[in-house]
Amino acid sequence: MQIGATDSMGDSRSSSGTAIKTSKPRCINWSYSITSWLGFVPFFIFCLLFELLPAVMVVQNSFVDSNTGAFTLNNYQRIFLEPDKLHAFENSISISIVTALIGGVFGFIAAYGIYNLRTKWLHNLIVGFSSVAANFAGVPLAFAFIATLGVTGFITTLFINWFHIDLYSHGFSLYTFAGLILVYIYFQLPLMILLTIPALGAIRPEWREASTNLGASNFTYWRRIALPILFPSLIAAMLLLFANSFGAFATAYALGQGNINLVPIQISFVVNGNVSLDTGLGNALAAGMIAVLLIAVIFYTAMLRRISRWQGR
Amino acid sequence: MQVGSQSISQRATADAMLSSQRKDQSTRRSFGLDKIVLILVLLYLLIPLGATFVFSIHDGKNFSLGSFQRIMSDADFLTTFPFSIELAIATTILMVILITPTAYWIQLRLPQARPIMDFLTLVPFGVPAIVMAFGLIQVYSSPNTLVSVLSLGLVPFLSNQLNVVNTPPLMVCAYVIIALPFTYRPIDNNLRAINTRVLTEASYSLGSGWWRTFLTVVIPNIWPGIISAALLTFATVMGEFTIASLFSIYTFPIYLDVTGQNDPHKAAALTILSFTITLICVLGIILLVRLRPGGARKDSQIEIGAAK
Repeated sequence: MQIGATDSMGDSRSSSGTAIKTSKPRCINWSYSITSWLGFVPFFIFCLLFELLPAVMVVQNSFVDSNTGAFTLNNYQRIFLEPDKLHAFENSISISIVTALIGGVFGFIAAYGIYNLRTKWLHNLIVGFSSVAANFAGVPLAFAFIATLGVTGFITTLFINWFHIDLYSHGFSLYTFAGLILVYIYFQLPLMILLTIPALGAIRPEWREASTNLGASNFTYWRRIALPILFPSLIAAMLLLFANSFGAFATAYALGQGNINLVPIQISFVVNGNVSLDTGLGNALAAGMIAVLLIAVIFYTAMLRRISRWQGR
Repeated sequence: MQVGSQSISQRATADAMLSSQRKDQSTRRSFGLDKIVLILVLLYLLIPLGATFVFSIHDGKNFSLGSFQRIMSDADFLTTFPFSIELAIATTILMVILITPTAYWIQLRLPQARPIMDFLTLVPFGVPAIVMAFGLIQVYSSPNTLVSVLSLGLVPFLSNQLNVVNTPPLMVCAYVIIALPFTYRPIDNNLRAINTRVLTEASYSLGSGWWRTFLTVVIPNIWPGIISAALLTFATVMGEFTIASLFSIYTFPIYLDVTGQNDPHKAAALTILSFTITLICVLGIILLVRLRPGGARKDSQIEIGAAK
């Protein structure tokens, strides 16, 4: 294997070790590799039972008629025929794209601001706070926004008392799709910051100096050097943001109590026994979610490969 | 900053101009677009927290801690909060027991399994909690030949003999899976950083067995990774709503949701409590792991758990 590598003591020792191992009879190698794989079995069975089988089951049952048990494509057909199911997909995809874009752009600029901070403690403080904020989601986040921008929320009453503007009489409502966008952006922004800062760290100050020496303006530097290098990282981060909000359920449920039509909400209706939905349709919705996220994950891994090619990470 | 000006001495004037220009740029940049956006973003993140805090202590017309007192005397809080803590501790322990030896084993003996491991840790991105919970209910409530065969008969055993569907143990297992994307990585990164093979060989040559090596040599060396994975898992379980809601198990986040419908001030107080738990966990990671000399600084992107 690494027999040629003799540049250090450790390497030469390990290479002689592998040389001894490979010179042993084949049967020992076989039993060695079987025991190696046996050590992986407990974890794999755990993942099979609680991770892979549920996903397989959802996909399989999406092709099964829940009354007769026969193979059918009916469940998928119904998604396209029933307007509120199709709407749920449109809503889920559009809220994910919108919040990923807003969170991505502003999160990136904010991350660049943090990256430019010269005071170390402030840098650490903001990154630490971003970690906290990115982990602050779900039901508590929904209630934090209700306390802020709800009907009797802090900012809402502030607007009434100071500016004599009632946000809710001007068509604003936190408990709708638009309100949910505001809430989702709350966890998208710090997530983008956390994902972008390591990528910004890969940018060398020498590149800017070189481009400035060659006469490039700030704009040219960003357009021709920094953004092309950062591009895969940014797209990968935004794909994570997309997946992050596409699967989100708790926040939307706590905010709208099921009144905001999203795919996860529809799936929860199936489990909680809503009459207009059956298991087959629920599975088709769930499989549709997996399909959308699969596309995002495929692009994400492709971007990761590009990052490792460009930035050597 | 002005590194480029050192080398070219002949063009000193040009360099001085350049560096002064750069200084202008940098001073301008420090009040530039990025800083303005950063301040706005921070305000966006801080205002809801501040508003919630004020909302929780400003009960009606004057300031009081009434909502916190009402929580403390609420029987539902006194049952669900300790219950969620138990769930979180159980999940954390199961996660450490399951992932640490596996990560060590893969690092030491089975690097071929890395792609499988990467796949398994990526799956929760593609299968969100709501889909997973829906799938788990179907796997363990309705008998299915395909599933029975694929699971080597374990699923029928779990669902018929132990009757796990919609029980806390099944929920704990689901939580371990949800946490997988951000628990395996810190532990694995640590294992890569400590030269596991040399440590193990040294320990073997001094006469320890596998378990002794693992417990007394490897674990103390990858402690930071385990701590950060454990604290993230704990914080996630304390806030997890989706699976508990689909399994109809009354946990702390469910209680928070139910309370919030009737009493927004109480909900604000509970939100502050929930935020404090997240804060303590993340601060714990930062103080115990990242600020240690030589601590894994590159892990910043991993500290994202949270059940949305």
